[in-house]
Amino acid sequence: MTTLGAERRRETAVRGSVLVLALVFFLLPLAWTVLASLGVLPDNNTHPPSWRGPITFDHFSEVGVAEPGFWEELATSTVSAALATTLAIASAFLAAYCLARTRFHGRRLVTQGFLVLASLPAMAYVIPLSDVMRRVHLADTLTGVALAEAAVTAPLAVYVLQGAIAQLSPEWEEAAVLDGAGLFRVMGQVVLPLVGPSVAATAIVLFVINWNLLLVPLVLTSGDVKTVPVAMSDFFTFERELDWPTAAAALVASLVPIALLVAASHRLVERFRLEQGARDIG
Amino acid sequence: MKLTRRDRIALLTPLALLLLAGLVGPALIGLVATVTTYSPFGTKVEFAGLQNYLTVLQDPQFLPSLRNIVVFTLVAVPLELLIGFGLAYVLREPIAGRPVWRVLLLLPWLISPIANGVMWHFLFGSATGIADFVGAWFGQSEVASPIGDLRLALPATIAVEVWRIAPFVTFLLLPSLSSVPAERWEEASLAGASTANRILRIAVPAVRPVLLTIAMLLIGLSLGTFDTVLILTGGGPGTATLTPALYSYAQAFQINDWPAGAAAGWLIAAGVLAVGAVYLRLARRGVEE
Repeated sequence: MTTLGAERRRETAVRGSVLVLALVFFLLPLAWTVLASLGVLPDNNTHPPSWRGPITFDHFSEVGVAEPGFWEELATSTVSAALATTLAIASAFLAAYCLARTRFHGRRLVTQGFLVLASLPAMAYVIPLSDVMRRVHLADTLTGVALAEAAVTAPLAVYVLQGAIAQLSPEWEEAAVLDGAGLFRVMGQVVLPLVGPSVAATAIVLFVINWNLLLVPLVLTSGDVKTVPVAMSDFFTFERELDWPTAAAALVASLVPIALLVAASHRLVERFRLEQGARDIG
Repeated sequence: MKLTRRDRIALLTPLALLLLAGLVGPALIGLVATVTTYSPFGTKVEFAGLQNYLTVLQDPQFLPSLRNIVVFTLVAVPLELLIGFGLAYVLREPIAGRPVWRVLLLLPWLISPIANGVMWHFLFGSATGIADFVGAWFGQSEVASPIGDLRLALPATIAVEVWRIAPFVTFLLLPSLSSVPAERWEEASLAGASTANRILRIAVPAVRPVLLTIAMLLIGLSLGTFDTVLILTGGGPGTATLTPALYSYAQAFQINDWPAGAAAGWLIAAGVLAVGAVYLRLARRGVEE
């Protein structure tokens, strides 16, 4: 048994070192950016290179000067991502329930088809989409952006939620039906509470994806409605002056809300399960 | 519960309307439009056959973009899967501080691809970036940014994308890997199985179905690469990092050749749908086994 104990200690040490290396690799660029946003910059002219600058929050107010609409754009991103997520989750939940509780030939093909649809890049259809939105007068509106973003993310939600619902034993629903519950009462009072954590986890992942979408809001808007990613692309496409500390402050300001959301709900987010859809046996 | 026909219609209609309006409908309208001379601002619409597609395929800009995206996908996706899997393997069993590491390691994925491009633009390029700082330690006064180099621009772009996506792969793989009972790892250790053996015999089979699903998502993501390169390189230098999505966007919205842009968009769709067809076959085989 001692050899096994030694083996395990050795493995823990290896795991620990790999983890430390990974943390450095994945977090160093972010730490660099956070430092720059606080005015702490490397000075390469000294030997060895050193750090200079007192810590300051000035660069965050400079973001508002360089891009006066920045804080409004943060709000627009939040509202459109929240609307899109709600719409996508609601419609996906209904359809996923139907898929999970209907037996038909090719059901598995349909489920996996939703994954292929989720993999389809927006560039594949966004050019005609912008034309359609303009013709129905939804171009440059929050409704148009939210609708289009919901359509981008709904297929992934169908795939994941279908897998989650298929894991549930139908007994609970049948018992509720015997008690005289209708379809929507069964879904709202029996199914939803049981898959609640999956639904919430999917909603958070979808919110992150929607919050970060660029192409869809970029081609559907022309100034009235502007999300943070669009503002960022505008800024650099038109090559306005923006120095690194201010850009870093803008990056940090756009990352912090979403990072806080994920950190606060990490127990829920970890319930996101892609494999239930993958393992689903039709 | 038993669903009636009316129930099914009620349940499926919202999603059908959403996808028809925002995804499938526009895609199909685009497909029809690209075999005509249609353009939102033109007046005459005539049948054009495959002319728009031929124009795109014969464009000296498009072929390099096609080559770039094939290289990008073939390198980035396996690396993302490999690194993501390795990290998930390390985190599969409880380790001190694991919940904190899991959240911290998800941070790269939380940055939008566009912000990621901006960030690396500065980290690679400016005098205050990482490369210059490390260079200064070794007495190098200035390190040229790899994104301005014809040969290094594409590898650098791939590295930036792998940095962002690999942690997401870990996030997606962890549930499957940590659901393997702890005894199985111990039994394997007792039987004297090497790490490689444990990975191949226990870990890989445990994640195989979901690995296929993740691969599909990543290939689609990679073939549509747009946000990451838009600011980081803008497709340059020359056409070194041009992607079909950048090309398509530029045709439709900057050069105002709408039919060519829409046709190029459909070529991306065709690529993803072809991969999707292979995925559907593989996913079905997985069940029959």
